[in-house]
Amino acid sequence: MESQFLSLLDVNIAFDQSHLFFPRLVTYVLLGLLAIILISKSKKIYPALRQAGRAVLYAENGFDRLRFFGTLVLIIAYFYMMSVVGDVFPNTGYGFLFVSIPFIFLLATLYVEIKSRRNMLIIAINAVVAPVLAWYVLSQLFRITLP
Amino acid sequence: MEFLSNLTPMFFLLIVAGALIGVIFGAIPGMTATMAVAVCLPLTYALDLNSGLALLLGLYVGGISGGMVPAVLLNIPGTPSSITTTFDGYPMAKKGEGERALKVCIVASLFGGLFSAGVLFYFAPVLADFAIKFSYVEKFLIIFLALTVIASLTKNMLMGIFSGVLGVWLSLIGTYEITNGGNGETRLMFDFMEYYLVSGFSLLPVLIGIFGITTIFQDAEKGFKGEAASPTIKLAKGPRFSLRIFKGQLTNLVRSSSIGTFVGMLPGVGGSAASVLAYTQEKNFSKDSSQMGKGAPQGLVASESSNNALTGGALVPLLSLGIPGDSTTAILIGAFTLQGIQVGPLFIGDNIDTWYTMIIALVVANFVMFGIMFFAIKYIAKVIEVPKHILYPIIVMMCVVGAYAINYGIMFDVWTLLIFGLFGYVACKIGIELVPLIIGFILGGSAEVYFVKSIESYGNLSIFFTKSPIAVFLWFLIFISVAFSIFIRVKARRSDSLVSTS
Repeated sequence: MESQFLSLLDVNIAFDQSHLFFPRLVTYVLLGLLAIILISKSKKIYPALRQAGRAVLYAENGFDRLRFFGTLVLIIAYFYMMSVVGDVFPNTGYGFLFVSIPFIFLLATLYVEIKSRRNMLIIAINAVVAPVLAWYVLSQLFRITLP
Repeated sequence: MEFLSNLTPMFFLLIVAGALIGVIFGAIPGMTATMAVAVCLPLTYALDLNSGLALLLGLYVGGISGGMVPAVLLNIPGTPSSITTTFDGYPMAKKGEGERALKVCIVASLFGGLFSAGVLFYFAPVLADFAIKFSYVEKFLIIFLALTVIASLTKNMLMGIFSGVLGVWLSLIGTYEITNGGNGETRLMFDFMEYYLVSGFSLLPVLIGIFGITTIFQDAEKGFKGEAASPTIKLAKGPRFSLRIFKGQLTNLVRSSSIGTFVGMLPGVGGSAASVLAYTQEKNFSKDSSQMGKGAPQGLVASESSNNALTGGALVPLLSLGIPGDSTTAILIGAFTLQGIQVGPLFIGDNIDTWYTMIIALVVANFVMFGIMFFAIKYIAKVIEVPKHILYPIIVMMCVVGAYAINYGIMFDVWTLLIFGLFGYVACKIGIELVPLIIGFILGGSAEVYFVKSIESYGNLSIFFTKSPIAVFLWFLIFISVAFSIFIRVKARRSDSLVSTS
């Protein structure tokens, strides 16, 4: 009797399929949990989505569209340009150095609240000094691979 | 005694550098110890293990301690674990006792840090010795227990479990490694992704993305308005600090440090939990708690000794079981892997010199933190005025270096930063908890190997219950942690309904 019950728990994993066993199990659990969450929170989802949509579209609830999407665009451009410029000068870290300077300048300009002359001067100096310092210490002194 | 040769001037210099940078990161609201470790990680690529650890442990201790500065002067916790420091620190600063309050915090921090380092030193080897005997079955159950504890202590249990499982799921993307006894096939991806994801997402870019880039998006959304407008209290010449404040605080110190150490050991439980717990315990048990919340040093003592005790506590499960105790130690796992060292039950025995060096680094880091903070607190208080528009672009740049260099120059790792930075941003919005997710991500791969190997060798699921007394005991702990969290929730709901009816 007992052995019959235990045999219900028998599991055989074929080796060529063993890479799928655990991921499938986790996926089922994940989908199950997702279903429970969606059902139990179903009333809150639509209003929350509408609120989020309004925040993005009309900049409500203090959502700063310019700075948020500006950050996103700048980071994408930064990563993309870095690999492009890095391919022109392979194994020198120049891609990192030359693209970081405008990136830091633009991102800081995007974030700064008061664009006074003094602030802009500090930003400009910082945009040149920080990447040069990072590039020199990491790439030249420590021999770390940079794009 | 070979480890003594590791203690070079460079070693101590790195601890000082780490602690100083850590204190600065901790002191700037919104930037945490985790971020400090993530950003400075590329510096360790060029160092050997011991020097790297010196820097990282300095950062860790400094980062946790630095949070007290804005907590006292701005009423904003610099790191989440300083939340209760604001309760008494800010009122004291308003009375003109800012410097005294900070110095109380510093001394309490030192005590907490050293206490937990002691616990780590004596407890981790014992736990590791015990864990060496574990087979795959028990190892799987340990991970299962860790994930259960994390999930049951999050605010919303369902979301906590979901986050943990999602983390495990994300970690399974890639190849089932032949080196782990797998069959080398890829899964959970489409064919066109295979080129990038053969070995899955790398741990460190994921962590750096979630803890570095996400913060930047969150602050960008808020728009950096009125950043300088918050009322900073300048340090005035107040009553002089003397150690006499600590008279009668020994029980408080020991209790709060123990709470901090213990909470630190529980995987994935944040630092704020430790300080809140220590603070409420002090309120419940002390003879005179009437002044707490209005500027009582005893509140500062409870808060700061407990949050610094986290450091040693969080390292216990990391070094004995290979399970990180919090998000910062999660990044430390990455740093170990980078040096080709596997953390787990065998770590201490196999790397005895590194182990002693680590303990020394931790103790020294606490003293260095004390020295820096105690004598230079006036200057550190100025750091919180450095504007974020200068700091954040530099952080993005350092994140890129960290991600790119980790596998010696793979551009996809840099894109991983952005993918997980955005993912972390959205996840926070919809209520997914990042710490359970990260711990799930780190442990997912091993969980799979242990689980599948257990079944392959025994062919029956019942083995997870009957393998050994330890397995039964682990199930008992799993049961307790679930029961405890349900108990807490029912109690909270009952007191909620009492409040609403009365």
